[in-house]
Amino acid sequence: MTMSRLGAQPTEVIDRTAKLRFRWNGKRFDGFEGDTIASALAAAGEHVFSRSMKYHRPRGILTADYWDPNLLVQVGDDPNVRAGHRLLEAGMDVRPQNVWPSLHRDIKAANGLFGRFLTAGFYYKTFMRPAWLWPTYERVLATFAPGGKIDLDTPHRYHDKRYMHPDVVVAGAGPAGIEAALAAAAAGARVLLVEHEHAVGGHLRYSSSDSARAALAELRAALDASDVEVLTNSTVTGRYEDNWLGIVQRNHPIAVERLIKARAKVLVAAPGLIERPYVFSGNDRPGVITSGAARRLINLWGVKPGERAVVFTANSDGDAAAADLDRVGVEIAAIIDGRDQKRVSSAEGSSRALQAVVAGGNRIEADLLVVAAGWTAPTSLLNMAGDRPVHDPAAARFFPSDPPGNVLATGGLAGDGRIDELRAHGAATGRLAAQRAAAVAHRLQALTARARPVEGNEPAWAPDERTPLGRDPHPELYRSDTHGMVDLSEDVGSKDLVAAAREGYDSVELAKRYTTATMGPSQGKLETVNTVAAIAEARGETIAQVGTTVWRPPYAPLTLGALAGRVFEPVRVSSIHPWHEANGVSTILAGQWIRPDHYGDPAAEVRNVRTNVGLIDVTPLGKLDLRGPDIPKLLNLLYTNKWSKLPVGKVRYGMMCAEDGVVLDDGVTGRLAEDHYLMTTTSSGAGSVWEWVENWLQTERPDWKVHVTPVTTAYVSINVAGPKARELVGRVTEGVDLSPEAFPYMEVRLATVAGVAGCFMWRIGFTGELSFEIHAPSGHGLHVWEALMDAGQDLGVGPFGLEGQRIMRLEKGHFIVGQDTDGLTLGPSTGLGPLIKLDKDDFAGKPELAWAADRSLPMIVAIQTDDPNVVPEEAAQIVRGNTNEILGRITSARMSPTLGRSICLGQVEPELAAGGTKVTVLLASGERISATVMDHHAHFDPAGERLRG
Amino acid sequence: MAESPAFESPVVRSYEFSSGGPLMLTDASPTTKWLVRGEVGGAAAERLDAPFGSSRDAGGGALVLGSRPGEWIVLGPADAVASVVAGLDGLDSSEFLTALDWTHGRALFLVTGTDAPRMLEKVCSLDWSDAMTPDGAVASASVAKVTCDIARHDDDGTPAYMIFCDRSFGQYLFDALIDAGNEFGLSVGPAGP
Repeated sequence: MTMSRLGAQPTEVIDRTAKLRFRWNGKRFDGFEGDTIASALAAAGEHVFSRSMKYHRPRGILTADYWDPNLLVQVGDDPNVRAGHRLLEAGMDVRPQNVWPSLHRDIKAANGLFGRFLTAGFYYKTFMRPAWLWPTYERVLATFAPGGKIDLDTPHRYHDKRYMHPDVVVAGAGPAGIEAALAAAAAGARVLLVEHEHAVGGHLRYSSSDSARAALAELRAALDASDVEVLTNSTVTGRYEDNWLGIVQRNHPIAVERLIKARAKVLVAAPGLIERPYVFSGNDRPGVITSGAARRLINLWGVKPGERAVVFTANSDGDAAAADLDRVGVEIAAIIDGRDQKRVSSAEGSSRALQAVVAGGNRIEADLLVVAAGWTAPTSLLNMAGDRPVHDPAAARFFPSDPPGNVLATGGLAGDGRIDELRAHGAATGRLAAQRAAAVAHRLQALTARARPVEGNEPAWAPDERTPLGRDPHPELYRSDTHGMVDLSEDVGSKDLVAAAREGYDSVELAKRYTTATMGPSQGKLETVNTVAAIAEARGETIAQVGTTVWRPPYAPLTLGALAGRVFEPVRVSSIHPWHEANGVSTILAGQWIRPDHYGDPAAEVRNVRTNVGLIDVTPLGKLDLRGPDIPKLLNLLYTNKWSKLPVGKVRYGMMCAEDGVVLDDGVTGRLAEDHYLMTTTSSGAGSVWEWVENWLQTERPDWKVHVTPVTTAYVSINVAGPKARELVGRVTEGVDLSPEAFPYMEVRLATVAGVAGCFMWRIGFTGELSFEIHAPSGHGLHVWEALMDAGQDLGVGPFGLEGQRIMRLEKGHFIVGQDTDGLTLGPSTGLGPLIKLDKDDFAGKPELAWAADRSLPMIVAIQTDDPNVVPEEAAQIVRGNTNEILGRITSARMSPTLGRSICLGQVEPELAAGGTKVTVLLASGERISATVMDHHAHFDPAGERLRG
Repeated sequence: MAESPAFESPVVRSYEFSSGGPLMLTDASPTTKWLVRGEVGGAAAERLDAPFGSSRDAGGGALVLGSRPGEWIVLGPADAVASVVAGLDGLDSSEFLTALDWTHGRALFLVTGTDAPRMLEKVCSLDWSDAMTPDGAVASASVAKVTCDIARHDDDGTPAYMIFCDRSFGQYLFDALIDAGNEFGLSVGPAGP
């Protein structure tokens, strides 16, 4: 097989004035713009491109397109590149994959010597025993894994994503697909035409006939003049419910790939046909190519595929290939006509090249065998739509059976015909698609509130009155009188499939998985029919009786980058965030919030709050604005305690439990006016509590008059904490008497702070210190924060972050829902049993809490280690003595800067809950330490004198 | 005491501003916005006259957006918005009606230009065709994975969209919109109501 570049061809797509230099297998090569990697290499005389997966047999061009199983190469750090499809670029470094030490001398080819032992199921059967050797097996087998090399240092590339809502998507831009797109667009539909190859035209592109060239020119001109949006080098990868389509666009200027999620009203499947290889001895030898490959090489890239050819043809495409070969000077040694019951038996030669073809007992010397044995109808998109294509033995391929009405097939998928017949069918399909799309559009508009109003009734669903395409008779050519490769991607031969059937894997789905036939990079496009035929032959049945595997998405393999698309990772920040960034903050991601964790020294922040005054940005604290006369009823339903008599200006703490009595959230709610309350939730519970409240209102109590609005970020929330908090807040606040008598603990006032009106100020805090929590309109939040900072310089004001707050709340013994509680923590376990008012008429979780009231439950308790310097890990187990019987766990633990010792909260079995009980804590290191349960939750200021100051 | 300070936008990064271009993104977060809730088919609904999914020019530069059944966003110059809201007082004493100032809680961005629908297709799954989202349409959707209210309010025949989101997502969403608009030559306009 000696390939070389031909003179200019009338249909070629290369620009011979644009030479591109690249490297292949360590050597320099030249190609032209418009070449694929494979065509450039073929023109340079290369004929071995890869080694097969299992036996490492040398492989050359088979189909010279996207589906070619032998043309997977490494390009730079990009593995598994399809050299039959990827266009050549200057400077490309192209290398063969998984060969050692070289492509032409691959040691692993020795596998071929043991081929008879490496049949289907070899791995499953061989490496099961002894089980203890599996890690060794795994390491060795991993070295045989196919594919290229991934460089983990490769920078993340930009993958884009886009949504579309076209009326009609046409998958495939052959003559029928183009006509369908044009006709649908002419009927007023918005049309997206998606072509897998680099240009529209389908098989017309590599046809040398005048009529084909004229038709292609006409179609291209019509497309250019139309409103059809055309995507080339793009693939409709999947069809999902309601024509939700995945489309990968591989040639977008701003992204290496773009994933398009399109909701098509009608999908037209026009992928054409894929030429099916023929199974015979040596059918994977370099020099054996499909007729399509021969025609593409000659007509698209001006490559002479050999010097002396045998053509095995059973159809007009094979005949056309023979004519093309003859035209460009390839000697035709023989034409073996499959329509006359003639067969190719074997291809013989050296390990790298074809030397002779055996047919009908004759040995014909040749360096090229061109095979035209029939077609596979890539019915994937129809399968995904629920269709089960049926096999027609007279035409030797599958045809659609009954796809849903919003999925139409045309072109080779639907039948055979001359170019004009295919075009006519395509046009009729486009018109039908547009009519049906109009009906869908009418329905969607009528159902969508924002849409333009529609007039009249929904158009009737247009009947399918297309004149069907014919079906050309074709001999059933799957396997010759010898065995050969069925799946060149996976190195699965017809013998393997026969053996699998003999072993009982006679269902095509089982045989596929057992042998891995059809599971390689070609995804069955070349292999499925021959696989089914081999099983049918082994079972003595027809292909129709065996049936096929179900083609699922994706239609063609796609990258993980394409699936991931553009990465959207929303993050939230408060209005004060710029100040935090400018002042050395160390942040922590809490949910979606970027929050200040500390500003360098959390312990120092704690000491400053305990002695002076500190500010913390607690904006993420959930805030729900409640309005309406029925709020007390709602609060009584949501919280375990009572709310009917909360006066205006007062704030109350509440604990929410779910219907199962498990603690759901907690927070304070203040009454701002007669029918106006502000509820706060935990930061992490802001969203779920809102949904919880709305769920109760909308589904259980729709008659209650309460409007709930999340206002979490309408207000910046600043907690001013410390002994000097009152003095600091007083310096910037107007209109509020801040004295303890006038504004005591657990009350709320409307204030003007730093000139900002409309601020809510509560006397609450989480640190155990005198605290004022200021909720200022967010558009002025940064101003208020900076004003407080400026005003408190002489008071030693400083910021503190989440870590400092966590320490102080632990010193004070406040539990955190989700940290100190879990999905089984019932309300009474928190130690807040007195807040559970079982004498209320009803509230969420009441039956479970009533049940729990009479039982001993695990309890949240404060714990101190006997060695004050040991801080147990959070989640360290509390065990019984030296046993492993678990009696609880540490839920929070820190070193207290205030107390100079380790402090904890934990959940323990009721028997350990009494103050003074000694417990054993099992550390992660395995060490067991002694600790003591405290009398109350607060490690610091248990009487609460500081916070009430 | 300091005087009432200027409104701080959620978009705090610096951008190179342009006063014009085929596709513009503008931060209009300071715009006064009120959320009104009433009863479906009630007196307020009749007065506001912007059914769910649609919008109405309420005069004085105020817009009423029918954001959900029984829920409206009123936005525009503060006095015009106040006038619309005040006009609901006393319509029907039996109707449960509330209104709150949402200006500080919601960021508002404007995307204007012929390519605006194509840009929005990159961040939002809505159908932006004239049939499904005509001038005056109002919708709620995920934009770059952030829950948003969206209203189309064309600018003299040029497609224009208002995008409202929770203020805390403002900077993130603004950057996501810039990223989406880069391929269409997006310009960032100076902030303002």
